[in-house]
Amino acid sequence: MSAPPKPVPLTTVESTETSDSGAQTLTLSVGPQHSGSGHMRLIVEVDGDIIVNVSPDPGYVHRGIEKIIELRNIIKSIPVIERPSIIDASNLNHAWVRSIEEIQGVEVPRRGQYLRTLLNEMNRIMSHLYWLSIYGVFLGHTTMFMWPLGDRELFIDLAEKLTGARITYSYLVPGGVRRDLPPGFAEEAVKRTEYFEKRLKEYDRIFFNNPLFTSRAKGIGVLPKQKAIELGCTGPTLRGSGVDADLRKDEPYAAYPELDFEVSTRPDGDSFSRAMVHMDEMRESCKIIRQIVKKIPSGPIRRKAPIVLPRGVAYGRVESARGECSFYLIGEGGDKPYRARYITGSYRNMAAIPAVLLGSRLADMPTAWWSIDYWPVEADR
Amino acid sequence: MSAQRTAQEEDPVATLAEGLSIWVGKLSDLVKKVVDTGPIRNVINWARMYSLWPVNITTACCSAEFGAASGARHDLERFGVLPIGSLRQSDLIVIEGTITKKMAKRLRVIYDQMALPRYVIAMGDCAMSGGLFHDSYSIVNGAHEFVPVDVYVPGCPPRPEALEQAIIMLQEKIRRSKVYEQG
Amino acid sequence: MSLSHEREDALVQKLKESFPADIKETNIIRRARLEVTVAPEKIKDVAVFLRDKLGFDHPNGVSAVDYNRENRFEIVYHVSSISIKGMRDLVLDLKESVPRNAPRVGSLVSVWSGVENYERESFEMFGITFEGHPRLEKLFLTDNWDGPPPLRKDIRFPTD
Repeated sequence: MSAPPKPVPLTTVESTETSDSGAQTLTLSVGPQHSGSGHMRLIVEVDGDIIVNVSPDPGYVHRGIEKIIELRNIIKSIPVIERPSIIDASNLNHAWVRSIEEIQGVEVPRRGQYLRTLLNEMNRIMSHLYWLSIYGVFLGHTTMFMWPLGDRELFIDLAEKLTGARITYSYLVPGGVRRDLPPGFAEEAVKRTEYFEKRLKEYDRIFFNNPLFTSRAKGIGVLPKQKAIELGCTGPTLRGSGVDADLRKDEPYAAYPELDFEVSTRPDGDSFSRAMVHMDEMRESCKIIRQIVKKIPSGPIRRKAPIVLPRGVAYGRVESARGECSFYLIGEGGDKPYRARYITGSYRNMAAIPAVLLGSRLADMPTAWWSIDYWPVEADR
Repeated sequence: MSAQRTAQEEDPVATLAEGLSIWVGKLSDLVKKVVDTGPIRNVINWARMYSLWPVNITTACCSAEFGAASGARHDLERFGVLPIGSLRQSDLIVIEGTITKKMAKRLRVIYDQMALPRYVIAMGDCAMSGGLFHDSYSIVNGAHEFVPVDVYVPGCPPRPEALEQAIIMLQEKIRRSKVYEQG
Repeated sequence: MSLSHEREDALVQKLKESFPADIKETNIIRRARLEVTVAPEKIKDVAVFLRDKLGFDHPNGVSAVDYNRENRFEIVYHVSSISIKGMRDLVLDLKESVPRNAPRVGSLVSVWSGVENYERESFEMFGITFEGHPRLEKLFLTDNWDGPPPLRKDIRFPTD
């Protein structure tokens, strides 16, 4: 295949409206009923077709989870905590149990740590595949909608074998995990990840090396490195801007210190970079899953943990599929937390939405916007 | 008003038109009767059953399972369900999960703008009764509080198979109902 | 787990040397978790110092906590460092307290631009006013809540 063509530089098709009218702008409301918005609204101000102002209007899925957690005991809160991002349920669950264990001082057995890591990585793949399928819809590429959703079922089946549920697992509990590996899981996992890696090559051929995609994504929605750090971006959005920050390496938790994987970064900070970071992470996750089923130690999967939250403060955080998910948890000795502050990856990346959209064309909005991997339910909580 | 009426009475064309419209009304009543009793009804209902296009609105996290149901394995398109962006061309709202008060207003606006006949599937426990978030300060406890619901799908979230069953139940409901009483 | 916290101790030392009067309390919770309580009038100076001199350039979030029994709100800025690679696991909680009946504090958007959304959320959920914030309006609750700030401890909801 020949090299993909260079994207058309913005200066060659300068709009006429900007030059003569200047101040005449038009305010558009994108969403919530719009195929390119999801469960949120973007108030976009355009001059001609150049976006001059963007203000996100979230809150269409705000369910007051921080208040609900204060009213329930720490175990009953687990399903509530998973709901903001049920395509990435296990990682959010991990942040919760990690902050509880920090206060309780409970150590999780090594086999339990490995099982947690296993489900986390499966969830990362599922979440990225869901993102990719919606990206396909946004770019009008129906094959890229169908393929990732079909391949996602490979891992959903696997997770169903392990936990008993398709996407909402409640698998991680304070002290360990609920269930052990079912028989025949290791072979099945190796088989499926190997098949999936072959499929990823086909994804590259049909989508990521396709000029239809590269010409629309390269150089679009640029988020410079310094800006990404200042705005507090996280996850693939930050790594797509050339920062190799990944909590799995920087603050190794669960079984990650014993596993071999690489943090993927891209220097350009455009939509294409962020998309490729997602692709690389799926490959790395396949590697991690195979390592885990190979070297998982034997032993107990769970240690007894008290059901009360002692007096204390914790800031527990994990690297979820959309970036750092953290809990600022304050216990006061009862079975309910005094305060549980819940900050998710999408919420943090919300600050990047205006930054990537300003100055680009309205037609480039879906490409730039969805490359942030902003899941409104997770951001609104 | 009265001046208009006298003018109309004098005008033979207007008189004729008025008489005709009465006859057209009677004729349309007759047509409705024929359509609803005869085999035409089956044809119309058959067409409606297999072109249920849901409008592209997502309310909460059940949209992940709706996505999975539209995807390659479950493929809702074989039931004639194809998500569409334009609400004027769509017949169905699948309410996917929790409805916040903020979203409920928009959902009602969307429902009002859709052409008749229109159907509503309430997917998930939250759309039925508030579910996990029943004690939250910002949600509506059930979709029936602001739109009429045709089919409820329990589950948190419901599996794609459950959604498929809901579609089949809705199709069955359409098959049995009268043409002019739908939506 | 080792009990020595050399890195954290060094940070606390540096902060105390630069602001001997304004640092009210420091607390090393555990490894890589550090709490610093400052006076609300001086929080901006401390924040600028943290950003420019100690490398805390990455805002992780802002939490507000309602201690209604002690009649105060606590505002916690969680910040970490990206530029110093050995310090990426460290989260510093910069805390300030304001009386519950007059919750007015200075905004830190000019120091870390990423805290804008979190401060807006604290404004709508707790009713804390951030002076100098570029756009202090509701974020999530624009249509679905018109009562008092819902996350305050004295606001109860029926659990029917």
